[in-house]
Amino acid sequence: MISKRDKFFILSLLPFSISLLAILIITVIAITSRSIDSIAFFGIKLFTSNVWDPEHEKYGVLGPIAGSLITSLLATLTALALSIPLSILIAEYLHGAAKNFMSSIVELMSGLPTIIYAMWSSTYLSLILKTYVMDPLSKYLSFIPIFSCRVISPFTLFTAGISMGIYLVPYITALILESYNSIPITYKEACLGIGATRYETVKILLSLIKPAILASVILGIARALGETTIAVTTVGNSMYLSSCLFSPGYTVSALVASQFGNAYLYKFAESALYASSLVILGVAIVLSFTGLTIMSNWRRRVVV
Amino acid sequence: MYSWRKLKDRLFLALVLAISIVAIAPLIHLIIVTMLNGFSVILNAGLGFFTENPPTPTSKNVGGIAPSLVGSILLTALSLPITVFIALFASIMAVEFPNNPLSIAVDVVAKSLASVPTIVVSMVVYLLVVVPMGRFSILAGAIALTIVSLPYTYTYFSTYLRSVPTTYREAAFAIGMSRWRAVINVSLPIIRRGFLVTILMTMARILGETAALLFTVGRYRTGVSFSVLSPSDAIPLLIFDYILTPYKVFQEVAWGAATLLLIAYLIIFIVAKFVIKEVRL
Amino acid sequence: MDYAIEMNNVNVYIDNRHILKNISLKVPYNTVYVIMGPSGSGKTTLLRVINRLIDVNPNAKVEGVVKVLGLNALNHDPYDLRRHIGMLFQVPNPFPHMTIYDNVAVAARINNVARNKKDLYEVVKWALEKAMLWDEVKDRLHDYPHQLSGGQKQRLCLARALAMKPKILLLDEPTANIDPVNARKLEEAIISLKNEITIVMVTHNPHQAARVADYVSIIYDGRIVEQGPASQIFLKPSTEIAQKLLRGEI
Repeated sequence: MISKRDKFFILSLLPFSISLLAILIITVIAITSRSIDSIAFFGIKLFTSNVWDPEHEKYGVLGPIAGSLITSLLATLTALALSIPLSILIAEYLHGAAKNFMSSIVELMSGLPTIIYAMWSSTYLSLILKTYVMDPLSKYLSFIPIFSCRVISPFTLFTAGISMGIYLVPYITALILESYNSIPITYKEACLGIGATRYETVKILLSLIKPAILASVILGIARALGETTIAVTTVGNSMYLSSCLFSPGYTVSALVASQFGNAYLYKFAESALYASSLVILGVAIVLSFTGLTIMSNWRRRVVV
Repeated sequence: MYSWRKLKDRLFLALVLAISIVAIAPLIHLIIVTMLNGFSVILNAGLGFFTENPPTPTSKNVGGIAPSLVGSILLTALSLPITVFIALFASIMAVEFPNNPLSIAVDVVAKSLASVPTIVVSMVVYLLVVVPMGRFSILAGAIALTIVSLPYTYTYFSTYLRSVPTTYREAAFAIGMSRWRAVINVSLPIIRRGFLVTILMTMARILGETAALLFTVGRYRTGVSFSVLSPSDAIPLLIFDYILTPYKVFQEVAWGAATLLLIAYLIIFIVAKFVIKEVRL
Repeated sequence: MDYAIEMNNVNVYIDNRHILKNISLKVPYNTVYVIMGPSGSGKTTLLRVINRLIDVNPNAKVEGVVKVLGLNALNHDPYDLRRHIGMLFQVPNPFPHMTIYDNVAVAARINNVARNKKDLYEVVKWALEKAMLWDEVKDRLHDYPHQLSGGQKQRLCLARALAMKPKILLLDEPTANIDPVNARKLEEAIISLKNEITIVMVTHNPHQAARVADYVSIIYDGRIVEQGPASQIFLKPSTEIAQKLLRGEI
């Protein structure tokens, strides 16, 4: 029953939809095919050891992968700590022009070129963090393993985590605000009806959107895993792997950014970089879909 | 008990306010500091900042960012239309025929592509475009930028198109419009604000993207190049390279360029927010 | 005799639910054919089969024989079919992004009813006059529809439909969301069109049906339970459902 005109319509649109599909497929195939060499040669050691020695063709990307995960987690937690209050402020306490203004500020932050975040973080934030957070914590709380190293440079896993966290704030805020605003108004009215104060209402409503917050955390980690410029300029770019947050480290994207240029000179360097990117890509996609699924399931249950 | 509850309420507000300020403070500081650093650089360099080539590490003169400026403009001019076309047509397909397996697949693809780290896109385009061509180029950079922006542009377009109330689409069909006519004469005009805002935001994203250009456009900044098939540079890339160096003059150029980028972004944002008028439904 | 619309054993399924069951009816040319029934009985769906607007829903399936203006409606190109059929919806939907003038003009233009600006203006004026809206909008043709009242919007939609010079007009509870004064105006406009256009109107309101109908079909739970000339149905309804409906009980 598809009319001729509809057929023409679909045919004229087909190339564009297909090209999107093709782009993804080609990307995945390209990365996978270039990763195979190093994975085949080094096996699991590629991911469980920590060394970057192209001259001797020794590669192990445990450090960068761990660094990516650690900084992304730290970033998301930082962003969460800042975003929830900001979302509550916008959703509950501000009205009219003030609300529009704040929302616009968040929108402004969300599109800001990451290179500017990176510049600011590496030039200013890193020093602030070193002086006011890392130095004191490593001096007084050095019995806690994550604070236990001497802070030599301001560029550490911690700095990268906090910097990416600030970059993530608008993204997480937008997700939380969207979820908070889609709570059916009957629940908000119910809270008012039982005489709850603002604080108590917010506590109840926040518990209602717990799955959405979880989804936002997962999506935030996925976002942070792919972030490059902020990571390269703040993480310290060192293969050193330790349990201390205040030491310099690497993320996979920072590793690629600094080593890809020279990688063609060596036999397995490029492939090792592709392989580590493949891991991050895989994790990011899995996390993305998990987060989106949790979010849509929550929506279907609560928002109706 | 009543006053304790009230106190908690007040404390809560104070806490929320305090942390929100901390959340916003970096942005304010960032904008102020960037502008301060960069304005002085641009003022000293004058118009030359837009027309001259970057300096050498030891020179006293800040020079200019002409190659990167031209490169960024060419990259945007090439990548923006392609991104908008592909995203627009794919989203029209997805909204008009939502049950078609291709439409569902495209939705999934857009979400997956959005999770691909931008540096990975750079690596792939390097493999598939730079290596066969034998050199870096604006073309490769534009392709990478398109791949990076497509998921967002597609998602925004399809959200806006889906928001057109069905009744207007039905009215369009009821007066004898074909599918294309209904889309062009009814759906798109109704969402024209969202449509234009999306294009502006895509442009902002393309202008500010760094990682996708790392291995594609070539970092050629010793001269201005207008050729699409030759290496060139881009403003974010220049900032990225220079801010990591220890040379003071490079840092100054980087701040100047960052201020330019920031101003461009603010202008785009303000236009998108305030200039485009909404259709009253 | 030729009928404007003929349906034979038409069954419609939406999302696998059987909405219309074995519908058969004949609509003579240039009459007002009213379809009445309680909410959810399938009246709107029936209307949408005629101009194949039901196709917009990808989960809809239509079986049976539908003849419109002598054409096999289910096989014919739906876009061509719709050029001869105008439709009014329950909630008035003038295009919000077009002026009052353009709303009517676009229907005439895309169906090649007028070739130049002068003819177009004449058609728009004629359509607005027939819809009994010309006097109220002639000074503000370049205003936007959101400034009109609900009743005026619906008459604008009528003008838009008329600008197509359709042979059939489908009206889906057109006065359901309008105040009584405007509703009467709309009814007057409809009655005045009776001899030029075939009109199929769905309504909930037995009094309105009594005012305008030449023929009536009573539909209940997707089935036609009674049909015939209006006088017969109103004076001597034979089924219990029809009687309840006309008394306003369902």
